[in-house]
Amino acid sequence: MAKGKTKQNFLKGIVIENPLFVSILGTCPALATTKTLEAALGMGILFTIVLVCSNMLVSLLRKLIPEEIRTPAYIVIIATFVTIVKMLTNAFLPELYSSLGVFISLIVVNCIVLGRAEAYASKNKVFDSLIDALGMGVGYTLALLSMAFFRELLGTGGFTIGQIFTFIPKAKLTIIPAPYTISLFSNPVGAFIVFGLILAVLAFIKNRKDEYKAYLVKQEKIKKQQEALAAQQANTDGGNK
Amino acid sequence: MSKEIYLVIGISVLVLLLITFIVSFVLYVKTPAPKGCEDMKISEEKCASCSHSECSFYKKEGQE
Amino acid sequence: MSIFVSFILAIISSMLIDNVVLSRFYGICPFLGVSKKVKSSLGMGIAVVFVIILATLICWPLYNFILVPAGIAFMDTVAYILVIASLVQLVGLFIKKFSPTLYKNLGIYLPLITTNCAVLGVAQGNTDQGFTFLQSLANGIGTSVGFLAIIVVFSCIRVRLESANTPKAFKGLPIALITAAIMALAFIGLQGLFSGIQL
Repeated sequence: MAKGKTKQNFLKGIVIENPLFVSILGTCPALATTKTLEAALGMGILFTIVLVCSNMLVSLLRKLIPEEIRTPAYIVIIATFVTIVKMLTNAFLPELYSSLGVFISLIVVNCIVLGRAEAYASKNKVFDSLIDALGMGVGYTLALLSMAFFRELLGTGGFTIGQIFTFIPKAKLTIIPAPYTISLFSNPVGAFIVFGLILAVLAFIKNRKDEYKAYLVKQEKIKKQQEALAAQQANTDGGNK
Repeated sequence: MSKEIYLVIGISVLVLLLITFIVSFVLYVKTPAPKGCEDMKISEEKCASCSHSECSFYKKEGQE
Repeated sequence: MSIFVSFILAIISSMLIDNVVLSRFYGICPFLGVSKKVKSSLGMGIAVVFVIILATLICWPLYNFILVPAGIAFMDTVAYILVIASLVQLVGLFIKKFSPTLYKNLGIYLPLITTNCAVLGVAQGNTDQGFTFLQSLANGIGTSVGFLAIIVVFSCIRVRLESANTPKAFKGLPIALITAAIMALAFIGLQGLFSGIQL
């Protein structure tokens, strides 16, 4: 595959086919784990690891797995990788493990992983599947981070690092003074509001773009009509003379 | 009972579960839908917000 | 307190105080996807209740009597997803073969349940929190009935929203999410309902 195409394959997961904001997949962890930036980053990384591994294995085995039992096979593959990731997290990052809780296990039923295995990895080569999974994983992580950014900023007034990833020093950045924070945004309510508002803003931008495109098409049409009319006019004028 | 026997039981139960899943999945997909339900397909109403992959489970059925 | 009373209280608490969708965020996908019509949300909800209760009844003994003695407790997630997926397929198969009426109403929602976070979330949560069998059952019943209630109520609101005059950018999902936020706000009021009672 050409280099440009690979880049496009990677970027499509981030922008055009963003799993969270465009396809609206994997919403459960998106609402539950975006209370703080760190938790969102942790979730995104674990998710990306599982997605990359399962996509590559599915792609490797795509000719071996019979058509009829594809879905069961994919579920077992994904569940195995989730178990591995869960055990590793528990061993090396116990804080992340306890803060994400059951949502690490729930990566198994995340629509995106099964969806990518089914829609992409089962039909494409290993390298393409790897790039596709990386793009989707990074796109999902960025989406989670953008939600967590607003929730943590408005809910706690700043950002705290070092609480979940204990290997970096603890630090706290305060932007909004404590009396002016809205703790509602740390609650489930805030998750729904932030997600709804982000989707609304994206829909607004998309509507505007569509309107502009429709406007351009219309302008073009009018221009062509006028040209045709002018040509006709010129023709008839020429004929008259 | 020694620990090994428990381990064997545990692993065999897991394998049994896997076989149950595969068999029931294949049977489910192959069983024809009852009368009057043949035309039930994945319509946009059901999958509108979760797009394709939530529906991947019965995509094959829908395509039949 | 008698076992029965605490069982009922545990059901109500996991149904209302810790509502599955609005405060635990399980099953958002069907909550948003299958709630456009009251009838379809009712079908989905009933199917979820059925599968969650059955899955809880199977997963608890499976973990405590088979996986733990064998020393492979770390395989719980794999075992649970296999149980849930086979359960869904078997129930679907049964309905497909023997009850066309039931299939007509529930059949299309059954396969979706495998990828519903709520089912695996309940099974895994019971294990992670070390619940007893009765506690697990109460959690299963409460969670699933809570899901049924909330998805039906939400679909009733959504039917109205479809015809409401919302701004163009908010049409569809965004306004549904804002509505869910307001519902979650109402559920905050239920917190502390049993704070004086030792469960």
